Amino acid sequence: MVDFPRLTYERLQVGEEFVSDTFLVTPEEIETYAFAVDDHHPWFFEGSPFGGPVAHPTLLGNQALRLRHSRYTVPGGLHAKMEFEFVEPIRPGMRVRSRGRVLDKYERRGKPYMVTEFTTEDETGAVLVRGRFTQMLFRD
Amino acid sequence: MATPTIHDVSIGQALPSLVKEIPQRKIDAYSGVRPRYIHSDADFARTKGFRAPLAQAMMSTAYVSEMMTHFAGTGFVKGGKLSMAFIKPVLAGDRLTVHGVVKETRPEGAGTRVVVEVWCQNQHGEKTAVGTASGLAP
Repeated sequence: MVDFPRLTYERLQVGEEFVSDTFLVTPEEIETYAFAVDDHHPWFFEGSPFGGPVAHPTLLGNQALRLRHSRYTVPGGLHAKMEFEFVEPIRPGMRVRSRGRVLDKYERRGKPYMVTEFTTEDETGAVLVRGRFTQMLFRD
Repeated sequence: MATPTIHDVSIGQALPSLVKEIPQRKIDAYSGVRPRYIHSDADFARTKGFRAPLAQAMMSTAYVSEMMTHFAGTGFVKGGKLSMAFIKPVLAGDRLTVHGVVKETRPEGAGTRVVVEVWCQNQHGEKTAVGTASGLAP
């Protein structure tokens, strides 16, 4: 069971680790993403030089960004920075999972920030995407 | 003029820009809908000082990814990198233009990494996100 305490700057620990649930990449998810960002490149639907369709490289960004929701109730915040490295193509049919670790927390101009590094892997453990992001936390 | 690709670039070369309209419906599809959520709850957004719900900043990374996939092809989908700072909120109803200019090329492995300076600009001419993206040319 997870208790989901409210995420606060004080409660958050540098070095804290998060693991997402697994997520099945479906053609419908890719289609929804394509609609949301208005990007209907044929590689996402028909086939690609990688053999078969692939997903938008950024498709799984939200799985990583929401890692903290696996343990906390989050009062919200603003996204300050994002870094991605696209290691391998994401393909429909993969079951993917993200893992993250809090690298740093700091206050700037009275606002609290957290920095998280992450990897997203397929079911074999192969890394698909890695990166790092900085989020500002709302205090309530 | 031919559309530039990663195989034939020069420093300072501009990539074709993209224009993205961002209605609430697209934000809902991207971020989901729930109460007390800055991306879908207009009243909650107002309590945080915004006149409308915010587009998720990650949507701008997707727009840059689209531009880079057209430019670098497989060398972005496998081996691409993207680093962005979100410097101004994007609101529901905004229109963004996504820009890229080739900044640097450098050897990497057996190929060349081509680095592009990227930014998004709203309908008022204000930059909302800035950073770099890169892809590998064989």
